[in-house]
Amino acid sequence: MAILEALLIDLTLRVTDLQRLNAILGDPQTSALITGALVAFAAALPGTFLLLRKLAMTTDAISHTVLLGIVLAFLLLAALPGLEADLNSPWLILGAALAGVATVLLTGAIQRSGLVKEDAALGLVFPLLFAIAIILISRLTDDVHLDSDAVILGEIGVVWADARSHCLQDCDEVHITPDDPRAETGRRCTNCAELDIGPRDPAAEFEEYCVNCGRYTAAEAWRARLVSRAPTQVFWPRAITSMLLVALLNLAFILLFYKELKLGTFDPALAAALGLRPALLNTALMVLVSITAVAAFDAVGSVLVVAFFIIPPATAWLLSDRLAHILLLAPLGGVLASLTGYEFSRGNLLGIAQMRDLLLLLDKTIGLDGFIEWNTSISAAIVLMMFLFFLLAWVFSPRQGLLLSLLQHRARRQHFAEQLLLGHVHHHQGTAEAASELAQDRLHLHLGWTPRRTQRVLMRLRLRDLVASEDGALQLTARGERSVRRFMALRGAGGASPAGD
Amino acid sequence: MSLAGGRNWRTVAVLLALSLAVIPLSLALGNIRVDYTLVTVAAGGAVLGIVCGVLGSFAVLRQQSLLGDALSHAALPGVALAFLLAGRELGWLLLGAGIASWLGVLLINSLVRRTRLKQDAAMGVVLTAFFALGITLLTYIQSRNDASQAGLDQFIFGQAAAIRRQDVVLISAVGLAAFLVLIALWKEFKLITFDPAFAQANGFPLRLLDVTLSTLIVIAIVLGLQLAGVVLMVGLLIAPAVAARQWTRQLDQMLALAGIFGGLAGAGGAIFSGLQQGLPTGPLIIVVAVAIVALSISLAPERGLLWRAWRQRRDRQRFAAQQVLQDIHRHATQHRDPRYPAPGGMLVALRGTLARPALRQLQREGLLQAGADDDWTLSERGLERAREAARNQLLWERYRQFGEELGLPSVTVDTQQPIDRLLPATALTRLETLD
Repeated sequence: MAILEALLIDLTLRVTDLQRLNAILGDPQTSALITGALVAFAAALPGTFLLLRKLAMTTDAISHTVLLGIVLAFLLLAALPGLEADLNSPWLILGAALAGVATVLLTGAIQRSGLVKEDAALGLVFPLLFAIAIILISRLTDDVHLDSDAVILGEIGVVWADARSHCLQDCDEVHITPDDPRAETGRRCTNCAELDIGPRDPAAEFEEYCVNCGRYTAAEAWRARLVSRAPTQVFWPRAITSMLLVALLNLAFILLFYKELKLGTFDPALAAALGLRPALLNTALMVLVSITAVAAFDAVGSVLVVAFFIIPPATAWLLSDRLAHILLLAPLGGVLASLTGYEFSRGNLLGIAQMRDLLLLLDKTIGLDGFIEWNTSISAAIVLMMFLFFLLAWVFSPRQGLLLSLLQHRARRQHFAEQLLLGHVHHHQGTAEAASELAQDRLHLHLGWTPRRTQRVLMRLRLRDLVASEDGALQLTARGERSVRRFMALRGAGGASPAGD
Repeated sequence: MSLAGGRNWRTVAVLLALSLAVIPLSLALGNIRVDYTLVTVAAGGAVLGIVCGVLGSFAVLRQQSLLGDALSHAALPGVALAFLLAGRELGWLLLGAGIASWLGVLLINSLVRRTRLKQDAAMGVVLTAFFALGITLLTYIQSRNDASQAGLDQFIFGQAAAIRRQDVVLISAVGLAAFLVLIALWKEFKLITFDPAFAQANGFPLRLLDVTLSTLIVIAIVLGLQLAGVVLMVGLLIAPAVAARQWTRQLDQMLALAGIFGGLAGAGGAIFSGLQQGLPTGPLIIVVAVAIVALSISLAPERGLLWRAWRQRRDRQRFAAQQVLQDIHRHATQHRDPRYPAPGGMLVALRGTLARPALRQLQREGLLQAGADDDWTLSERGLERAREAARNQLLWERYRQFGEELGLPSVTVDTQQPIDRLLPATALTRLETLD
């Protein structure tokens, strides 16, 4: 990890200077922004496949049960001698991945017994594992910094606090020896404790020793004022590194196994017949989901991380049919939602409105007792933005959006009304009752429409030169005649009389 | 012990008695002092558990178990808004939670109907989006630094210890109202649960009934939130129903059992969490509920794992006995003497370890006579039975080979079944006179 971070720092320093880098990383908000974007990117990739495999709720289950993996791995580490129990230990990630896989396997086993349906099996397994984890945590709260509220909610705003320092310049260790000019000497009593006497006792013997001898890291040396120049340090938040690693892992997995994943998603039987091991790939996907969920844990919490898996791919799926497009759109949308969500958490709603103004307005109308400070969790704001994008996609999608289907519905209704009117005219013109049936001012009575609607339909037909009126009675034009014949040919002879009267 | 037919309420009664016995027993064993708080908490837990168990059964039967998860999360913004508008009053909080989850149901339904998203994705989207809204509102409430906000967190994890007497009364009243609706619409709910297509074809207002039933489930969730909390609510909703499903096939019995199990889990979890400071209620209730599921899955008659293993063993035994009987018969036929004894060692060599118990069973049934030196001879009845079986086998063989050719009626070949019962007499005669 440390090596990778050093590499990353090296890379970033080529595009920016040290001061700016430290300003970026030291700022809680920008590191939150970067982490959020990385989580969104990393989660959208496996999320897409889970969504298409109808396993969306499995991400919810896994994101909860990884907690048990973490707790158990932590307890194991604490029990084993020689290993240090540390919440940043990579072993915890292993435990989490195992817990994720265990969830899926356990659910499958219960389901295969035939006694419990799939959805109920999942609904039994994950509350149980999560409940055990919470009970264990509540027993351990004294010695573990693992707060269940923090686990559920997470707070992306604090990721900057957990950072590793990297020294770039003046990094030499300082070693102070007794003959160093910076060494300070003191005196201490050698036989006071032995004889149980005070240092002022005449019998006391003294020796000289070096007070500040020893090794100092560059930072410690600067703090102890042993060196004149401060070391140049970069504080790199751990969360950024781990999320970056996870994002790269997910990306590599999907690039490598794109074909297999695609086939396994849309035609598992064929994939199995071709020897592509869809079950194994499925397990691998679950491992990725677990790892991603764990890495994103501190940042966004165990409930909201599910949104990062589900909502951007669902949004992309509303917009496109092609897997490749969804896989591009989903991470893109997720990152975009992270950026706007971050702005939203600071009170800026997509640049359209300021939350402060909205709260002021609310305060005036319904009364908030003057609390107009907009202050929200960044991860919740990101999820709300994802949901907003989802709703927008739902309304405006060019394929199955609400707006589109509304327009199509309208167009179909109009078309049908036109055909009905044309048919009515066709049916009655030239017959004895034509004068009464086709009188323009009484037409709506025969069709059972409102007069306004009749007028609108007539107007459209006239504009397209399909009907004409003669002495207040309607008649088909030559074009209208052709249109009716075409329509009747489509319907067959049976539907010859569409107009009811 | 057949539960398939008539209405056997004996199982329900026995389980009710057992559940009622567990609580005083655990109180005595755990050396728990019974006081006013404990009684209130246990009563609250029991009432909530009963309501959730009964109404959750429909979620399980309609295969919407995870809906409980989505809706419990979706309740959070309602709770927060109600708190903002009306303060910390349980009735208002429940109303807010109910409205929010109810909107969640509608949104999920319309997403499933109008987009290509499947149920799971729709639930995931609604769950996380509503929860995020709830968190946003909660953060806002916390930023007001309002002393009375304490206790809102309990909706996330559940806090049975905070239940007061008037809360129990309110919960019971709401639960009772939900039960009355359930009883009034019993037939309709049963129909849309098991055969929605039939219900629609017969002109029942499917959508309306669907929403009504979902509303009842929402009520159960909203009431249960205080006990189990947002995250674990789904467990409390479905575990009692899944457990109850193992014991019976009747809907009314299942609901009664689910109520009993839910009450047991709710009261048990609440009592356990009172044992020690800082033990969270929700998780304990879930552990108790899932333990009941595990017991039911293994012990339940007919469906249970133990029952199934026992039946499998019995079937295997019966099959082995038949095989051994036929082996002895064949052996005797080869020696042209129906009473010719067969050595036990040979039978073990033929049929393996199951042969010995099979021999003992056949002897008990009076089909075999044991001779000296581990010799086995068919009795009169045994001979008859063996001949019967041999004929059955032969006719099945012939049917398998020539049945189609002879134009006999088509039945599934199962040599364990007496063929006389499955084929008409004429067909049997044709098979018998085939040579």
